[in-house]
Amino acid sequence: MTMTNPNDDMLDDLLAQARGASPLPSDALMARVIADADAAQPRASAMPVARPGVIARMLDTIGGWPAVSGLAMATVAGIWVGVAPPASVQDVTAAMIGDEVSINLFATDLMIDAGAFGDG
Amino acid sequence: MNASQDPFAGAEDAALLVAYANGDGQAARYLMARLLPRVLAQATRMLGNGSEAEDVAQDAMMRLWKIAPDWRQGEAQVSTWLYRVVANLCTDRLRKRRGAVPLDQVAEPPDPSPSAVAQMQTQARMMALSDALAQLPERQAQAVSLRHLEGLANPEIAQIMDISVRSVESLTARGKRALADIMAGRKAELGYDDDEPE
Repeated sequence: MTMTNPNDDMLDDLLAQARGASPLPSDALMARVIADADAAQPRASAMPVARPGVIARMLDTIGGWPAVSGLAMATVAGIWVGVAPPASVQDVTAAMIGDEVSINLFATDLMIDAGAFGDG
Repeated sequence: MNASQDPFAGAEDAALLVAYANGDGQAARYLMARLLPRVLAQATRMLGNGSEAEDVAQDAMMRLWKIAPDWRQGEAQVSTWLYRVVANLCTDRLRKRRGAVPLDQVAEPPDPSPSAVAQMQTQARMMALSDALAQLPERQAQAVSLRHLEGLANPEIAQIMDISVRSVESLTARGKRALADIMAGRKAELGYDDDEPE
């Protein structure tokens, strides 16, 4: 027996009618949903984040305080090598320039004799 | 909203949800445009009542906005999650309707034109179907509605309801049979004696 049940036919017809119901959201509903979305949206932290100052940003650029101490050490070492070059560096300088270069930072004729003040 | 200007074209719903949670207000608007029509349609088909369906649709979307910060991408699809939420919200309403005064008492139309009468009859039928769904056990009502009102395949329903495909088959078969029995008692009232389906 392959008779169809009339009750099933009626239900299938009802279900098909219901499937066809596809209402478009009204403007009012969309406005309500968006208002909810805006109200529920997580906000950024209320505490303002302090903006780093000029020096801090400059330090960040070169790598912070450790980089500054490294630069200072290198500068001091460079000056020291210039003032009192080790023998090996002197040899290299002489070979490249052709002669030994010697700069006297404290010329003897300019040196103040401490004793002169004492004599008044 | 013009699709060609959609900055989220091609992006998954979950990506828009994460963008919304990260403060992108536009993402919510595009997500609503994608999801709200289907959410509203599902609620309307289950409840047979426009204003109730709008309330459910708004409620379901609100739950989506609230879960956005905790949404874990890749674990579930937004559409699957929404089908479940809407089905649950609708069965909650149907449960409350059981003990209440029937809503399907359709008044005589003030405009007795044939089109107005036909529209009233369609409304009455949709509400009668929804009332019949209300009389089913909730899981049966959800499975039947997802299968026969939303037209989803059984594996998808299994995912939405978090049950096996075999359970879906069982629920839909028993649910549809029970629904047919309930509706049989209202055949004449719904105009099926002289208005047989083709």
